[in-house]
Amino acid sequence: MSSLIESTSPGVRRARQLGQRLALRGVGGVLVLLASASVTFFALHLTPGDPVRAILGGPSANPTPETIAAAIKEFGLDKPLIEQYGIWLLRLLHGDFGRSFSQHQPVVEVIRQQLVPTLQLTAAALFAAWLLALISVLGTARRNRWLSGLGSLLETLSAALPQFWLALVLLAVFSFGLQWFPPEGNDGLLSLVLPALALAIPLAGFLAQVMREAFELALDQPFILSARARGLSEWQVRLGHGLRHAVLPGVSLSAWAVGSLVGNSVLVELIFSRQGLGRQLYQAVSLQDMPLTIGITLFITLVYILTSLLVDFLYTLVDPRLSEVHG
Amino acid sequence: MNNPLLASANAGLAGKSSPFKYTGLALVLGVLGVGVWHSAHADQPVNGGTLIYATDREPSCLDPHVDGDMPQVFIAQQFLDSLVSMDEKGHIGPWLAKSWQVSPDGKTWTFHLRNDVTFTNGEKFTSQAVKANLDHMRNPATQSSTAGGYIQQYLSTDTPDDYTAVVHLSSPYAAFLEVLAQGFLGIEAPSALKRSRDENCQSPVGSGPFKVVSWDHQNQVVLARNPNYNWAPPYAHHQGPARLEKVIWRFIPEPSVRFAALRSGKVDVIEALPPESEASARKNHDLSVVIKDRPGNPTNGELNTRRAPFNDVRVREAFVRSADIDGALASIYFNTLKRASGPLSSVTPFYSAASAHTDDYDPVRAAKLLDEAGWRQASAGAVRQRNGQSLTVHIPIRATTSNAERTLWEQVQATAGQVGFDVQLEPMGDTEASERQGNWNYDVTLDYWNTNTADVLRIVFGSAFLGAAGSGGYHQNGSGFNNPQFDHLVAAALETQDPSQRADLYAQAQKIVADNYLQLRTYPQSTRLGVYKRAHDVWLEPSLSVTTLYDAWVSP
Repeated sequence: MSSLIESTSPGVRRARQLGQRLALRGVGGVLVLLASASVTFFALHLTPGDPVRAILGGPSANPTPETIAAAIKEFGLDKPLIEQYGIWLLRLLHGDFGRSFSQHQPVVEVIRQQLVPTLQLTAAALFAAWLLALISVLGTARRNRWLSGLGSLLETLSAALPQFWLALVLLAVFSFGLQWFPPEGNDGLLSLVLPALALAIPLAGFLAQVMREAFELALDQPFILSARARGLSEWQVRLGHGLRHAVLPGVSLSAWAVGSLVGNSVLVELIFSRQGLGRQLYQAVSLQDMPLTIGITLFITLVYILTSLLVDFLYTLVDPRLSEVHG
Repeated sequence: MNNPLLASANAGLAGKSSPFKYTGLALVLGVLGVGVWHSAHADQPVNGGTLIYATDREPSCLDPHVDGDMPQVFIAQQFLDSLVSMDEKGHIGPWLAKSWQVSPDGKTWTFHLRNDVTFTNGEKFTSQAVKANLDHMRNPATQSSTAGGYIQQYLSTDTPDDYTAVVHLSSPYAAFLEVLAQGFLGIEAPSALKRSRDENCQSPVGSGPFKVVSWDHQNQVVLARNPNYNWAPPYAHHQGPARLEKVIWRFIPEPSVRFAALRSGKVDVIEALPPESEASARKNHDLSVVIKDRPGNPTNGELNTRRAPFNDVRVREAFVRSADIDGALASIYFNTLKRASGPLSSVTPFYSAASAHTDDYDPVRAAKLLDEAGWRQASAGAVRQRNGQSLTVHIPIRATTSNAERTLWEQVQATAGQVGFDVQLEPMGDTEASERQGNWNYDVTLDYWNTNTADVLRIVFGSAFLGAAGSGGYHQNGSGFNNPQFDHLVAAALETQDPSQRADLYAQAQKIVADNYLQLRTYPQSTRLGVYKRAHDVWLEPSLSVTTLYDAWVSP
């Protein structure tokens, strides 16, 4: 590839490079989507139990045999598994995600209703995590031994906190105890604070740890020394010269972070009784609602793929060298 | 119907006096059937305002004909009316039907309907609506497991004129009026039922005191007052439109969070008040508690009689008597719950107290019975053996079983262990537990059944409910009991309208069940509300102890 690129002008070369990378990523993305959907499909079918029994009210319901037969037929569960898979794959290729067994609605509609609260939560958590991580790194790294040590310690501690545990503690202290924040719901910013922090604090620990390392490495470089020699203040040096180096590993970690935030939202949404995809996914899995489980799984996979694309793009913005090196 | 998915810990009895004095605020009349509470400070009811109600589980569908789980009937009670009503004493009264007759063979029911009722979409209520609703419940495509299951005898409805509906059944069914009084069989507008099932799920239309305005999934349903409402059931406390202008029906699954929302006054009423919060609620001057038992088969473990060791009645009795339920309830629920004794909860019509103490804790008798049955114990506390087999009891525990109920079964495990049972509590997902239930692969399965008729005995213990052909293992009779004499009694009880005959037949049936030790009963199912001081006249209707907000009002 490199010999071809060298023979053309830099502009064309970059465009072609970008196109190839996008195409490659696109094909890869489709394969990942297909794989995640298929794994979910077979995993759900391997789990003991059947959705008809779960949906018609569990073991104590009193459905007639005709009602059961009608439901089995309607859900297409009377066909051999491989045929169900084929039918389902064909529908998926036509963009038809089917109807949720348990919600009595089209899957797309269920996702549309639950999407916004989860994205709000994820975005708020990501923002808070970045903010906390930057404050910690810029404020404490390479200060004095005490401050630096304290920052490091806090980061390690936060990174080790399980999100569900943190959620329960935040709930007990700031909602049940001090009553500063509502314990549940999704109306207004106040109700977003605790769930977002529960997700953000451990993530901020991770982010800050990788950022601190890069930041400290950057502070040792000669260009920092020359900046200081020019008489810039400590904050000018940190923000103007060191920050960019600290941000890079944080950006690359964020792709993974968004995915994990959406995943971890399952527990946080349950604990804070928030609307959202996570809570919906939990219900869908427990009722073996195949179309809905696959729909939400596909959606989360798609978020992963899109954010990693976005991160690639951001990376080249923050560090233009990379567009040359990658390829 | 009932579903262990529903917080099964929600059982209890009010009226146990709290050690804490709370002066003059709320008076709870929750004991056995009186679910009404009056605030001592209550002024005159106020019209208007919004009440926020928070419950644990969201319905899958707002039309209670479809599926048919408890969360559906709770919300449907606010916007649907029933054909007949049932009062605190179990007597059937009029509602949308003014009067009715049954033919001598018990198979033809003629209902004379009110002529002044309109649905909230403007449609008149007529005999066509009765036909459309019963047909809808019975149609397999509706996927009705409760309403449809209760009227399996239904054949057809004739509509000789607009206000007369003649319903034909395949066999006599004395419990017909009782089940018709349940909110699960609420009457919906025929034109709304003509839409697709899933469309009707989102916005059913009834003739009730409220109507469905919107459903924001996983968050809330908004209900608005029906300004034309003028056909409340006889047991209601007022007539005319509801007092509240709006009801916000919220879903807060986490029990402690739900209780915190109530304590802060962010919500006015919570359902499924956690048992662990009951003492704190009674202490709190801002709160009152409304608790009422539900009729039906109480919370229990059904003993599988189709395989060893519970195919021997002596072993069943030994197991039931080895479990110290009273002790467990005292330590887990702080004496707020009383043990349920007998296959019917005490608020069910035709409940018989005759066999109430045949299942009392008696480890000495339990040990003796096990010895007689050949299960020998090598030393005190050891697991009993017979022919090299251990006396092991497998109990699948669903993921949705509440912590309090799990703890209760751990206590059963401990006390039964002292007598020599090896009790295995096996936690698993709900679908897997359903699978095990369907395949009879358990020794004890946790269950309960909420309904307002003693006919529940037939469903839970009758041989017709051992799993019909084509039902893929579904069986409602979890003990596998198969007794022609019992079947005969519960069938005969459906053939007579005479209350004293029915009482006699059901008493005999209850005795057979008690003598056979088919269930280990724990506590009655109950509806448990916590009410913030702003809300008044929130009470539980008699047929299934379901919340009714028709009379409720909020202080401005």
